[in-house]
Amino acid sequence: MRNEKDLLQLMNAHFNPLKLEIKREQNVSLEFEKEELIQALSFLKSHSYKHLSTISCVDWLEEGEFELVYHLFSYTDLINISLKTRIEREPGIFQTAKEIWPVAEFYERDIHDFFGVKFKGNDNLEELILENWQEIPPMRKDFDTRKFVNDKFEWRDYNGQKHTD
Amino acid sequence: MNNNFVKGSWQEILDWAQNKSINMLHYCTGCGAIELPPTMTSRYDMSRFGIGPAATPRQADLLLVTGYLSTKTLRRLVYTYEQMQAPKFVVGFGSCTINGGMYWDSYNTIKQLDKYLPVEMYIAGCMPRPEAILDGLLKLKKMIADGEADGYQRYEENKDFYHQNQEAVLGEVQRTQ
Amino acid sequence: MDKNTQTEIFFGPNHPGVPGNYGINYQFEGDTVTSARANAGHLHRGFEKLMEERIWIKNTALVPRICVEEPDINEMVYAMGFEAIGEIEVPRRADYIRSIILELARIQGHIFSIGGNAAGIGQYTVMHWGTLTRDYLLDIFEEITGARVYHIYIRPGGVRQDIEAETFAKILDLMDELENERFPDLEKALFENPNAQKRWQGKAVITKEEAIEMGATGPVLRANGVPHDLRKMMPYAAYDDVEFEVPTGKNGDAWDRIKIARDDMLQSIKIIRQLINKIPDGPVQADLGNGLKYRIPKGDAYVKIESKRGEYGYYMVSDGSLKPYRVHVRGASTPLGLYGVREFLPGTRIADVPVWAKSLGICPPEFDR
Repeated sequence: MRNEKDLLQLMNAHFNPLKLEIKREQNVSLEFEKEELIQALSFLKSHSYKHLSTISCVDWLEEGEFELVYHLFSYTDLINISLKTRIEREPGIFQTAKEIWPVAEFYERDIHDFFGVKFKGNDNLEELILENWQEIPPMRKDFDTRKFVNDKFEWRDYNGQKHTD
Repeated sequence: MNNNFVKGSWQEILDWAQNKSINMLHYCTGCGAIELPPTMTSRYDMSRFGIGPAATPRQADLLLVTGYLSTKTLRRLVYTYEQMQAPKFVVGFGSCTINGGMYWDSYNTIKQLDKYLPVEMYIAGCMPRPEAILDGLLKLKKMIADGEADGYQRYEENKDFYHQNQEAVLGEVQRTQ
Repeated sequence: MDKNTQTEIFFGPNHPGVPGNYGINYQFEGDTVTSARANAGHLHRGFEKLMEERIWIKNTALVPRICVEEPDINEMVYAMGFEAIGEIEVPRRADYIRSIILELARIQGHIFSIGGNAAGIGQYTVMHWGTLTRDYLLDIFEEITGARVYHIYIRPGGVRQDIEAETFAKILDLMDELENERFPDLEKALFENPNAQKRWQGKAVITKEEAIEMGATGPVLRANGVPHDLRKMMPYAAYDDVEFEVPTGKNGDAWDRIKIARDDMLQSIKIIRQLINKIPDGPVQADLGNGLKYRIPKGDAYVKIESKRGEYGYYMVSDGSLKPYRVHVRGASTPLGLYGVREFLPGTRIADVPVWAKSLGICPPEFDR
């Protein structure tokens, strides 16, 4: 049963993380280069971090990068880890994690639907939640949702007074 | 007795019989559907007014659109409405069918229901209480008995208007007849 | 697909056997399912994009609509994320009131889902009883918060207003009535009925290794004898001040999961009685200034609580402005509804597909968002 400091020492001994932080009690966050992340995930899974909660994606438009965050949990240490990495926004390609956890295939498919990130090794990236979507992926920061709604749908006319923002 | 008199009074008897027994399609399209089980079960009993659930579109008269409609559900609902047999009625439930409601700036929900399907009446609320649902359905029964609930005839007469609006949002829609 | 022996049909979205507006497309041969896939996305409203366009306080009215059966967990996790990034301290009386509201929501969710499970095997009496008992709890919510289903009561810094002593007396009376009159009736009608036991024993089995590999928690994992509960592993609100047990099962089938739902309700009644006896005095809201100008520093946090179906979490990112930068919702039944359908449904008989879908607690609006 490790505590937060032992865990950070273990990760520092085997990899080169860019940033390590204890956020609150039982919550730790680590940032890696994109080449090391998949090995770090396998290493943690074999050291009792077996539960993958979800994979999130954040769009940093001004810096031109996507940030992928993997959330893991261990039932023996009782610590929550968030592993982060950054990839370039323009090709937007990363390695898949479905060899380690088969359920990651669906989280990556969801990220492809909403952000347009492609995952090498995952060949089942068709539409999961949207249907026949023709514009740019909707969760990106340069998709203007109010302009899209004004163009596509019509508002109800209340005695000549139309809906305003 | 000329033909109009016979047809007129026969239609009145049919309308009276129609309003005493309405079959509602049991399709929970949105989040307003969580107030339907209390309305159907023993506390606010709906079956004492003659309204009960039906399983398939071919056996139903009333389509209750409970809440918002995403574009994926709108396509299935248009197929369901065209499979139902006349006379059929549509009631909009909640403020999302009136003007978009809480999701007024969402890229995936529709903003007005009566551009795509012919609506008899709306029940306001977010979400309406079981007493408000019963009040709305009793008014619908009165409309049916008076012969004013003619949404299915409006759909036949203005087919081009409705089809054009549906295809503007959905793309291509398969028609069976 | 061999057209001579296999057929593909649509189970849902317009079907009384699915829990909500969600579809499963499966192929079957004879009487048994051979392959299946999920047809999700009918309830997608784009919540994560909508939350980025509204200021922090306005999202508390939008957030309960993500999970329709148990809306209070959304308000709780949103407030916890805001307080974690901003390092805000919540008064102790507000922690107790939040725990009471969450436990009342757990009881009404469980009794509704036991009714739904009974309707899946054809026992409609228990469905009527379940919906009626839930209505008595909604009356209590209406007296505390003003609304039956979407309460908008828990917000960043505490709760919206205080509860009076008469309402606490009414809650204790209702707990006595549930334990002495309603639940024994339910035992005799459903749990001692040999037909219900035969329909549920040995069906929809998910083993311990499969559940941990998939990321499923809650009753699905506890039905294999593993007592993992986030209220004891990472305590939040006032759960470190009360004593309760975590019910478990043995075989991992549908019968164990439904018995866990009933035992969870009895433990919740015990927790509510202890909380009402020990509640301290004091303010119910921390002072954060003008609600229209809430601001927290740059940072991010992943917070999670134990809902009636398992682990429910939000990942929130703030960039120091008046609106959230990114909120990602992780529903409790996301792996089951999308991945579990493909891997674990083949092999069941067609009459058992509603039992599979309803006893695992699949709630479609949480993964469609």
